[in-house]
Amino acid sequence: MHHLTRRATLSLAALALLPAAAFAQVPTGYPATYQAVIDAAKKEGKVTVYTPTDAVAGKPLVKEFESLYPGVKVEYMDMNSAELFNRFISETAAGTASADVVWNSAMDQGVKLAQDYALTYESPESKALPYWATYQKQAYGTTFEPLGIVYNKRLLPAGEVPRTHAEFIKLLADPKYQGKVTTYDIEKAGVGFLFLTADDQVNSALTWDVVKAMAGAGVRLQSSSSTMMERISSGEQVLGYNMITSYAHARQKKDNNIGYQLLRDHTLVMSRVAFIAKAAQHPNAARLWLDYLLSKKGQTTMSTASELPAIRTDVEGEMTASALQKELGASLRPIAIDQHLLTYLDQNKRLAFIKTWRSYVARK
Amino acid sequence: MMSTTTSLPAALPRAPRLPLRGLGRWLVIGVTTLVVLLPLAMIGYQSLLSAPFFMPGKVVSLDAYRFVFDDPDFWFALRNSLLIAAGMVGISVPCGALLAFLMVRTDLPGRRWIEPLLLTPIFVSAVVLALGYVVAAGPSGIFTLWWRHAFGPEWWDVYSLGGIAVIAGLTHVPHVYLYASAALRNLGSDVEEAARTCGASPLRVARDVSLPMVMPSILFAGVLVFFLGFEVFGLPLVLGDPNGYLVLTTYMYKLASKLGIPSYHLMAVVAMLIVAVTFPLVLLQRRLLRSAGKYVSIKGKGGRQVPLRLGGWRWLAIGIVALWLLLTVVIPVSGVVLRSFVTQWGEGISLVDAFTLQNYRDIFEQDNLVRAIVNTLGIGVIGGALAVGCYALIAFSGHRRHDAATRLMDYLVLVPRAVPGLLAGLAFLWVFLFVPGLKEWRNSMFAIWIAYTVIWLAYGMRVVQSALMQVGPDLEEAARTVGASAGQVSRQITLPLVRFGLLSSWLLVFLIFEREYSTGVYLLSPGTEVIGALLVSMWASGATDLVAALSVINIAMVSLGLVVALRFGVKLHD
Repeated sequence: MHHLTRRATLSLAALALLPAAAFAQVPTGYPATYQAVIDAAKKEGKVTVYTPTDAVAGKPLVKEFESLYPGVKVEYMDMNSAELFNRFISETAAGTASADVVWNSAMDQGVKLAQDYALTYESPESKALPYWATYQKQAYGTTFEPLGIVYNKRLLPAGEVPRTHAEFIKLLADPKYQGKVTTYDIEKAGVGFLFLTADDQVNSALTWDVVKAMAGAGVRLQSSSSTMMERISSGEQVLGYNMITSYAHARQKKDNNIGYQLLRDHTLVMSRVAFIAKAAQHPNAARLWLDYLLSKKGQTTMSTASELPAIRTDVEGEMTASALQKELGASLRPIAIDQHLLTYLDQNKRLAFIKTWRSYVARK
Repeated sequence: MMSTTTSLPAALPRAPRLPLRGLGRWLVIGVTTLVVLLPLAMIGYQSLLSAPFFMPGKVVSLDAYRFVFDDPDFWFALRNSLLIAAGMVGISVPCGALLAFLMVRTDLPGRRWIEPLLLTPIFVSAVVLALGYVVAAGPSGIFTLWWRHAFGPEWWDVYSLGGIAVIAGLTHVPHVYLYASAALRNLGSDVEEAARTCGASPLRVARDVSLPMVMPSILFAGVLVFFLGFEVFGLPLVLGDPNGYLVLTTYMYKLASKLGIPSYHLMAVVAMLIVAVTFPLVLLQRRLLRSAGKYVSIKGKGGRQVPLRLGGWRWLAIGIVALWLLLTVVIPVSGVVLRSFVTQWGEGISLVDAFTLQNYRDIFEQDNLVRAIVNTLGIGVIGGALAVGCYALIAFSGHRRHDAATRLMDYLVLVPRAVPGLLAGLAFLWVFLFVPGLKEWRNSMFAIWIAYTVIWLAYGMRVVQSALMQVGPDLEEAARTVGASAGQVSRQITLPLVRFGLLSSWLLVFLIFEREYSTGVYLLSPGTEVIGALLVSMWASGATDLVAALSVINIAMVSLGLVVALRFGVKLHD
């Protein structure tokens, strides 16, 4: 079998060298039957992706994918996660064209949607993923993005940057930082809610201590990571908690105010969830895109040009799971893509959690 | 239906020839009713369900209403909305009236070029203005830092409730200005001259003579601003976040994520409540209009206008106009422009070092952004013209008619204004998805165009009706007496006469279509991107650099359109 695949690959590779034959080859290690998927995908001609990952990050991936599979165009539509949810379920209910692949950063919504709308498809790449990153052969984690403290380098001296949750709490007690800390408003930002509940699951007592300390320091709540980042960069705020540090990493390149720190005691890791829609109009092209996102090639591009840390441990480099593993080891706590993500989509549980949170941070 | 009627009182002696009648008229009324009420009906129906209306598991219940009424946030938001709306009226009405007096009635220097500037806040998205205020006057804002270095701690806070109300008030001054100036233009100036001759100061003339005469229009504008106070979204979204101030529209936005997945039924309830709160205001406006006629002493024809000489007062007048322009136009726009040219800003940062053109380069590298620029121009120029055509048809259907259908239309056109744009956009998505036969249209510019046309119905109608009202009934009557048919009257008398009015309507609709933002969000698809909707999406996904640069391009397009139109002799109004 293996031999056959290689032969098929070789002959196809030879074909690819012919100028006229611009068709793609089956990636190494894939079953030979994959050629049928590629051919069908070419007939479909395109794949539609709905995602909150902005177009700047998506572009290198789209480019590489389109060069790997000439004839298959990517319709890459970036939108916020609420918009994604609304559009996807409305369009699917109406039976019109919608996303072929949903690639969501709101993990809970991702799993919720996958449960009702995902095609069961075992990606040939799924074996390379960690156990917590696949859900029922339907939804797959694609990135490995640690959460941490993002801070303003000019206003927070290097020596004072907190390295653990305890240090963070201690720092907030300093009146100097009154009104200078920011984090997600968990009522307005679904991801903020998700991150805080994930914190709560790792270490509940500590989490609420952090919340109390932030409340004591007059925390400013924001509804998106971009507004937090902008205010930290301008110095209006000095540091932010539970922020997606890959954004900070990307922004550092053109904005030398921004620094970030991963906390040593525990660092949450989020992963963008991808699945193929059951009602996909381009199911084969969708397979190619999903497999590409998870492939070593796709993951390498992701961790470099797209600046989203790769989840595959066989990808090397600065922004990869393996590099983080080396740095932080067991204190990394990935948010598992499983049933637990749905816990707080139950209205009563969610409102109860919000109520507790508000009892600390709400406007007095 | 609005300001215009103040110049020509509601009760005309008798209806002369109607440009549009019979079947055609009823068709127009029918289509308008359908297009306006369908999305609203969907929202109303949704508010009574327990789940999205297209889901199998839904049941009819009042739980959503119960949830909202039990939520302390709702009452907090309602209170804030009331405060902000009241603050807006308190600020925009006196400022707008004063500016109108200065611009229309006095010999204030530079009136010609000040006028387009005065209207700028209408033509720039509120989100963009808010971003501008944060960069310019926020706690780390550029002007704030200058102030701090020069005079010590600043005394303002753009994130406070008062700050939001003041900014919202200042940016709504143009609405009052438009009404008040239209009314003033229709008054002869002899009364004022008489007062001036008797030795009254310009201020006294304004207070005791001009103001009482245009009082109905100002009251009317005040009610309109109060009404708009309930649907401001962009400003409280950006400025209300840091201190947690909610208003009804941002409360609705919050409900979209509070339960983890969008809760349409809750959002629909809030939309219905906003409609319920604002509907009495529409009724009030109608009452004001009815009583407007009796104040008007001199009608359209006789108005000989001689500008009042300000004399030494002119410096004070210039100061007032300049201060308002500084606060409302210069500060936010310079904030956005500046943000688009730097990589970073804030305390201790040299803006010269941070200078970059990369943000613009990034925009022109992305196909969808370039397409958005082209589409936005298209929807403004072509879509704007088509929309003016539709508004004119609707206006003709009620032109010089005072029956039940006309009254219905007057209410109807205001309805879309009351539904927050975000939900209105979603409702339009539903209309296109679930009304049979419309699916194919969803991914076309047509979908966006129709949504825009409906959302801006009230504004467009006002603009077009003021153009129509300029034509007195006597000319149409004269044509009829010499034997012209109704059709001939429309083609040869009414249309040529309103041509220039329609041209300026086109300009005003173009400007508003260029800046519209929340409505198009759900109708975006590859190929039909528009700048406004992209700004909202990009703002959420974190690309502040691109948002600023794209906003500047948007503002530039609007200004360019304005300059070109004004050069070709199109007037903002007569």
